[in-house]
Amino acid sequence: MRDTIWLIQRTTLAMLRSYKSLLLYLLTPVIGIGLAFLIYSGQGDVSVRIGIVNQDGEQAVASDVVHFLDSIRNVEWSDVQEEEARELVLAGELDAAAILPSGFSAWVKGGKEEFPIELVALEGSMAASYIRSYLDPYIGNLMAIGRTAQSGGESFDAVYAKYKAAEFGLLTEDVADTSAQRDMANRAIGYLIIFMMFSAVNLSAFMIKEKENRTYFRVLASPVSAKAYVASNVTVNMLVLLVQMAIMLVVMIAGFGIKPGLPLWQLVAVLLIFAWVAVALSLVIVAFASNSMAASAMQNSLIITSCLLAGCMFPIDGMPQAMRTIADFLPQRWLLDTVSKLQQGAAAADLTMNVLTLLAFAAMFSMLAIYKFGRNRDARTYV
Amino acid sequence: MNVLQLKKLTKKYGEFAAVDQLTLAVQEGEIFGLLGANGAGKSTTINMIASLIPITKGEIELLGKNIAKNGKFAKSNIGIVPQELAIYEDMTAYENVRFFAGLYGLRGPELKRRAEEALAFTGLSDKHRSYPRDFSGGMKRRLNIACAIAHRPKLIIMDEPTVGIDPHSRNYILNSVRKLNEMGSTIIYTSHYMEEVEELCTRIAILDHGKVIAEGTKAQLKSIITDQKEIRIDVRSATGLDTRKLSEIAGVRTVTVNDEQNSVSISTDAEVNILNRIIQGLMAADIEIRSVEESQPSLETVFLTLTGRSLRDS
Repeated sequence: MRDTIWLIQRTTLAMLRSYKSLLLYLLTPVIGIGLAFLIYSGQGDVSVRIGIVNQDGEQAVASDVVHFLDSIRNVEWSDVQEEEARELVLAGELDAAAILPSGFSAWVKGGKEEFPIELVALEGSMAASYIRSYLDPYIGNLMAIGRTAQSGGESFDAVYAKYKAAEFGLLTEDVADTSAQRDMANRAIGYLIIFMMFSAVNLSAFMIKEKENRTYFRVLASPVSAKAYVASNVTVNMLVLLVQMAIMLVVMIAGFGIKPGLPLWQLVAVLLIFAWVAVALSLVIVAFASNSMAASAMQNSLIITSCLLAGCMFPIDGMPQAMRTIADFLPQRWLLDTVSKLQQGAAAADLTMNVLTLLAFAAMFSMLAIYKFGRNRDARTYV
Repeated sequence: MNVLQLKKLTKKYGEFAAVDQLTLAVQEGEIFGLLGANGAGKSTTINMIASLIPITKGEIELLGKNIAKNGKFAKSNIGIVPQELAIYEDMTAYENVRFFAGLYGLRGPELKRRAEEALAFTGLSDKHRSYPRDFSGGMKRRLNIACAIAHRPKLIIMDEPTVGIDPHSRNYILNSVRKLNEMGSTIIYTSHYMEEVEELCTRIAILDHGKVIAEGTKAQLKSIITDQKEIRIDVRSATGLDTRKLSEIAGVRTVTVNDEQNSVSISTDAEVNILNRIIQGLMAADIEIRSVEESQPSLETVFLTLTGRSLRDS
C-alpha cells in the first residue's frame, strides 16, 4: 500500500505539471455543458407569430376573437392584409395567419356547422396546430351559442353577453416544459462520457510514456510490483474521473441551472460504474498499443466512433435502425439508457439489466487488460 | 563470498535460447566485466537478474538467496544503471533520485539524506533543483547513476554507462565506478569500450550465443591466446596504405589500420619473427615509421579471436 501511495503521488504530480492535461481533465466537462446549453437553450419558451386578417371589420364577435388570440400565452399577433399573409408565412416571418372572412360574425350567429376561420400555415406546422387547438373550442362555443339562440328564440347577443359574463370558466394553468432541461442534461452527460473516456486513456497512456522513457522498467526493477504500479494509475484515473463528474454536476446544476431530471445520487452511482468501464477500457487500449502514437490512434478511432454511435453527441432516436442495433453493444448506450430510464422514474428492478450490462462491460475490459498486461514481458528497451 | 551466482541459467524464446545454461559467479568486491556482442545474451541475463523477465530454467542466487523465492530481497539489493536513460524529464534531479529511492522503502530524513548523497556522489549537488531537460548528455548519465545507487545496493549493474558522452563526464563516471567499488559495492560492468573494461574490471566473462565462452582475470584471458602476438606501428600518415601486401607476408594474421591514430596493428604468429619484413613492406609503400611496439594480445584481440567479431563493431 505504501508503494502504491508513493506511485500515486508521482502520477498526480506528473498530471498537475502537465497544464494541457489539466485543461483537458478539468475544463472539458464545463465546455461540454456550455455546448449542451447553447444547443438546447433555444428550446424553452418559443413565441408563435400569427398574422390576423380581420375582414369582418368592427363586428364584436370578430373583435373578441382577436382579443382571444391576443390572450393566448406565447402568441404574438399582428394585423396583416390577406394578400401579404401567404407571402409572410412562406417567408417564415409568420408561423401562421388566421383569416376572419367578411361576414364572419353573422356566420357564427347563424349557427352554421362549418369552421369559419381559414388558417394559413406551412404543411405540418406545429404553430397552426397550436392555434387551432385554442380556436376550435372557442369558435365551437360561439357556433353552439348561435345554434342555441336560433332554436330558443333568444337573440345571439343576449346569450353571448350572458356567456361572456359567466362566472364559471376554464382555468388554464401553465406547466413548466422540462423536456429542454432534460435534453440539455442528457447532452451534457453525453459529452461528459466522451471526456471521461478521453481522460481515462490519457492517464493510462502515462504507463506507455513511462515504458518509452524506460522509467517503467526502473520502477519494476525496484521492489514495487507491477500490480502496485497499475493500481496506482487506476486510482489516479478514477480520482480524476470523479473530479470531472463533480465539476460537471456542480457547473451543470449550480452554474447553468440545468436539472438532470433524476436524483443526484442515482446519477453519481451510474456514472461511477461507467468510470470503471472507462478506466478498464483505457487499460485495454494501453495494453494493446505498442507506443503512444498507436494508443492515441486507437483512442481517437474507438472513442469517437463508439460515442457517435451510442448517442453521446446526437440523440440516437434520429439514427437508422442498424446503427441503433450496433449501439446496443456499446457501454455508453447502456449508460445513457439507464439515465433516461431513471429520468422517467423507472423502478430499481427495471434497471437491473442495464446495471448488470455495464458491470459486465467493466469486468470484461478489466479481465482483457489483466490478460494482456500479463503477457507483456518486453523489457528489451531497458537494458 | 559470491554476491551473485548464476546456475545453468536459461532463457528461451520458443526454440531459440537467448541464454543457454549460463553458469558464473560474481564475488564480493569485484568489478566484473560482462562482454558480448549484440545478441550474445548480455541484456537478457541482466533482465533476468533484475527480475524484469522470467527465467526459463536454472537459478539466480543473490547473496546466497534464490531470487525467484526472495524477489523483494533481491530487488532491494540490486541497482541498475541502464544503457538508455531512465529518468523523468518533468521532475528535478533531486525529485528523480528521491522518487526512485522511495521505491525501496526509504522515507523522511533518511530518504532526503540518501538522495542528496547520491547527487553529491555524481557531482550534481548544485543541479538538484534543475530539470534533466536542461542537462548535458553526461549530466543526464550521472543522474541515471544517482537514481540507481541512492538506496545503496550491494550489487550494481552498469550497462554501457559511458555511451555517447564527453570525456570529462566519462572520466567522472569511471572514477565513480571505482569509488562505489571501494565503498563496498560489487559491480557488473558492460561496455563496448574495451579499454574501459581493461582499466576497471578485475574479472571478465565473455558471452557468445548465450554461453560463457571465457572467464577470468585479464591476464588469464590474454593467456588463452598463446600463439599470437601484436605489433603496433605508429606512422606519420597511414592514409592510402594497401594492407593486402602486409597480409601476404607469411605469419601475418590480421592487419588493422587506424587512420585517426595513424597506426597500424598487426597480429602475427607468436613463433615467427617477421618484424623486419613488415617494416620493409611499409617503407616500400613510402610510409614513414615513428615507432614500433611489440606486445602480447590485447583483450580486444582475445574477444575477436573467441567470437570472430570486434566488440565495438558488433
